[in-house]
Amino acid sequence: MLETKRRSWFVVIILTMLFLSACGSGGAGSSSDEGQSGKATIRFATWDSEENLTLQQGLVDKFNEAHPDIQVSLEAYGSEYDTKIAAGMGAKDAPDVMYMWNYPTYKDALEPLDSYLEKEGADFKNNYYETLWNYNSADGKVLGLPVGYTTHVVYYNKDLFDKANVPYPKSDWTWDDLQAAAKKLNNPDESISGFAFSGTPDPYDFEMFLWGNGTAYVDDSGKTQGSLNSQKSVDVLTMFQNMLKDGYAITTEGSGSTEMKSGKVAMFTNGAWSIGSLKEAGINFGIVELPSFKDGSAVSIVSSSGISMSKDSKNKDAAWEFIKFWTSEEANKARLDYELPVLKSVVESEKLQDDELKKVFYHMLEMSEGYTPASFKVENWSEMSEKLALVFEQIFNPSTLMDPKAVLDDAAE
Amino acid sequence: MEHAVKPHKRVRRWDKWTPYLFISPWIIGILLFTVGPLIFSLIMSFFDWPVTSSPKFIGLGNYTKMFTEDPQFYKSLLITLKFALFYVPLSLVTSLILAMLISQSVRGVKFFRTIFYLPAVVSGVAVSIIWGWIFNTKYGILNYALFLLGIEGPKWLIDPNSAIITIVIASAWGVGTMMLIFYTNIKSIPPDLYESASIDGAGPIRQFTHVTLPLITPTIFFNLITSTISALQQLTLVLLLTNGGPLKSTYFYGLFVYNNAFKHHKLGYASANAWFMFIIILLLTALIFKSSNAWVFYENEVKKERKKGGKKK
Amino acid sequence: MKLSSWHKIVVYILLIGFSIYFLFPFIWIVLTALKSEAEVHQYPITFFPSEFRFENFVNAWKAQPFGLYFMNSVTITVLTTLGQIISCSLIAYGFARYDFKFKNGLFILLLATMMIPWDVTMIPLYMQFNLFGWINTLKPLIVPAFFGSAYYVFLLRQFLMNVPKDLEHAAKIDGANDFQIYSRIFVPIMKAPLTLIAVLNMLSVWNDYLGPLIFLQDRMKYTLALGLASFKGVHELQILPIMAITIIMIIPPVIAFLYAQKYIVEGISGAIK
Repeated sequence: MLETKRRSWFVVIILTMLFLSACGSGGAGSSSDEGQSGKATIRFATWDSEENLTLQQGLVDKFNEAHPDIQVSLEAYGSEYDTKIAAGMGAKDAPDVMYMWNYPTYKDALEPLDSYLEKEGADFKNNYYETLWNYNSADGKVLGLPVGYTTHVVYYNKDLFDKANVPYPKSDWTWDDLQAAAKKLNNPDESISGFAFSGTPDPYDFEMFLWGNGTAYVDDSGKTQGSLNSQKSVDVLTMFQNMLKDGYAITTEGSGSTEMKSGKVAMFTNGAWSIGSLKEAGINFGIVELPSFKDGSAVSIVSSSGISMSKDSKNKDAAWEFIKFWTSEEANKARLDYELPVLKSVVESEKLQDDELKKVFYHMLEMSEGYTPASFKVENWSEMSEKLALVFEQIFNPSTLMDPKAVLDDAAE
Repeated sequence: MEHAVKPHKRVRRWDKWTPYLFISPWIIGILLFTVGPLIFSLIMSFFDWPVTSSPKFIGLGNYTKMFTEDPQFYKSLLITLKFALFYVPLSLVTSLILAMLISQSVRGVKFFRTIFYLPAVVSGVAVSIIWGWIFNTKYGILNYALFLLGIEGPKWLIDPNSAIITIVIASAWGVGTMMLIFYTNIKSIPPDLYESASIDGAGPIRQFTHVTLPLITPTIFFNLITSTISALQQLTLVLLLTNGGPLKSTYFYGLFVYNNAFKHHKLGYASANAWFMFIIILLLTALIFKSSNAWVFYENEVKKERKKGGKKK
Repeated sequence: MKLSSWHKIVVYILLIGFSIYFLFPFIWIVLTALKSEAEVHQYPITFFPSEFRFENFVNAWKAQPFGLYFMNSVTITVLTTLGQIISCSLIAYGFARYDFKFKNGLFILLLATMMIPWDVTMIPLYMQFNLFGWINTLKPLIVPAFFGSAYYVFLLRQFLMNVPKDLEHAAKIDGANDFQIYSRIFVPIMKAPLTLIAVLNMLSVWNDYLGPLIFLQDRMKYTLALGLASFKGVHELQILPIMAITIIMIIPPVIAFLYAQKYIVEGISGAIK
């Protein structure tokens, strides 16, 4: 009996070893072949989703071929990009090079690039649109090179305009014009809405409407009192709310592109992201600048994407080499299909100022010079943003539709 | 534990270690993969850690902030508890009904069994997208269908009152796992028990309450505990479907912690939040566990009690 | 056992009623996957596609190295399922069939590990795996399964607690040692719940998105779930490929389930008798 007992424990041990070797081989079979002698490996993280990804992989391969001493590997994380980057930074294992837009939040983990830029000479920096540098810096330091950008514009459904016999909007139009058009286009019997805007707008984006009316979330010292609840701010939100109350505009549950794709929304505002998907959805649409406010102007927020270097990167020179490649004319041109180039020389050589759709975004960019989003002015933007998001919901949600002045006064406290 | 036959001495020395040897994989695993991160997160809850830079010690700061300065903490806690109170019984009852249904011997039951299980197989990303579409107030299929029937559908994900119901409907969709657990247990009940019950003249309902129910108390207990835990930690669906809205009506505690960690980058604070919830769940589980002596019956304990003259454990 | 006809009618009404609720979103996914991009968003809604576009599936599959992702998913799923079955049956057996010092304390600890929120342990876990050199390998997704998971151990223990105690007494008298009792008597008894665990584990690992997201880097090591998620960008999502890949991903777990059903139906009862 003793012997059988011993034998069975032997079996247990063998089994245990088997599990371990099984998972060992499972891991080993798939473990990477990195650490090749002498090669600097660069991890490069992107938030772009498929289609564009194939193109980006092609660019990366091209770079690797041209640089035998550097090996760049592309990592794609889709919509959970921020979670992954935050986890990596927390564990001090962030990618060497990464796409970036929210600089104030990540600034402490990013390498300032001013000294690198200096070495490249002034012309290098001047080739970018100036406004974009503001959006790729924090605390006066450049933390990323601009890769792409978008301003916000009005998309309109040409078919619906034709059917209602309404002339297409022109670039110098006003909010009054938009409202008049929306009223004419609106047709409840056919579920057609004249205008759509997000019922839960991203506060970062929405500030542009306040700018247009000559105000902002915060003043230069970062205080909300007197800015967020100024009469001008109240006017903007009242205007949007009235469009809902009058029934010719709807709020959307997402950005609005889903609703626009249904072909039943005449106008909505968004960045350049919708161009591709609206085309695929077969919508016959046009693009026009944002309307301006009566005593103000038309200003857009810039949603910029940049490329940054991790402070903890072990191969900073190689990383910079790759960043330069990724922002080069060649790369800008390669991404032309889905991204608006940020280099003046490329815009010129590709004649984008003559492109019926794309020129609107560049025009909007010129009109939006000199504004700094609140996210760059206040310390705790993410919390403030959450508060503002609730404010907008209270004003726009059909079950509350609260008085803008009261809500804004309350929020500015 | 008393053995009927005592093995001789050299083996007995080993016997003491036998149970530990059986559970040793788990003990090794917990030492390797759990203890470290757990202690780390507890320590972090006493620090201010903005992820991108080094942590700063602030003592109980995170905890005092949570209890005294953050109204969202209480709101999220309340919403989550309400959800759990509503969802846990609902999902238990639904999955039990489903499990009973698929264990009936009727034609085509195998087909229905697969259908009921199917939703649990669909990946979370697609589930949230599809529900978001179906429930879209203006252009969604559900309200369109209601419109064709001449009914004006509710503003599903826009109205705070219906949003929580929407979440319940969407999360109950994945109840297949619980159903399967019940089902496995129901199938393990010896058929002769039913036969003798039916000879005694018990109808289907009496058979259920007198035979099935008592015999599946261990899995009811299991499903109760695990669904309580998952209801209190519910995150994926609200994160992808409502993102806490409308008007923060679905801003569950799980989302509160997640946002503090990955949106506001306050990992120390998020750790404090998480530890508080951890303790709440632990207490709740302990409570359910305590109560289980009264209503959960294990076959091997019943036997033991009988033998030892009803000794309580 | 004969069922009365009214009983049958009630059962069928309930079965069909629940089926609508469970099937509808699923059917909607399938129909969407077969439409054209324009038709997907059209309003008034067209229920059936005007043209069944099966090429959507091919296009989606070709958009990323899904063959590779599939292999990675299979590797992880098979190995973790193996690991869970072996480790959990041992651990649950230990907890359910023995009395020992600290048993209750250890069991509460086991349950407690189910309650740990991943948000805050994720980063330290990342650091630890990084220390092991396991980041960007499949190891963090596989190895822990060989040390059991609280959920399955608990589930299995509940089943084992329901097996009469006489069983091992009889075997002990016959001279079997502890491991033999486990392997020869209890493993066969556990066939149904172990199958259940295999099915459940397969499902959760197959669809797990967060683990691969955090621990993998190189695209060649991605899993299907991670590949699926990368169709969803920050601003726009590609609806057709998402729905198509979702449907493809459903197939292996459903086949496994259909296959496993018969072991679950056999139940414990057969084994004991």
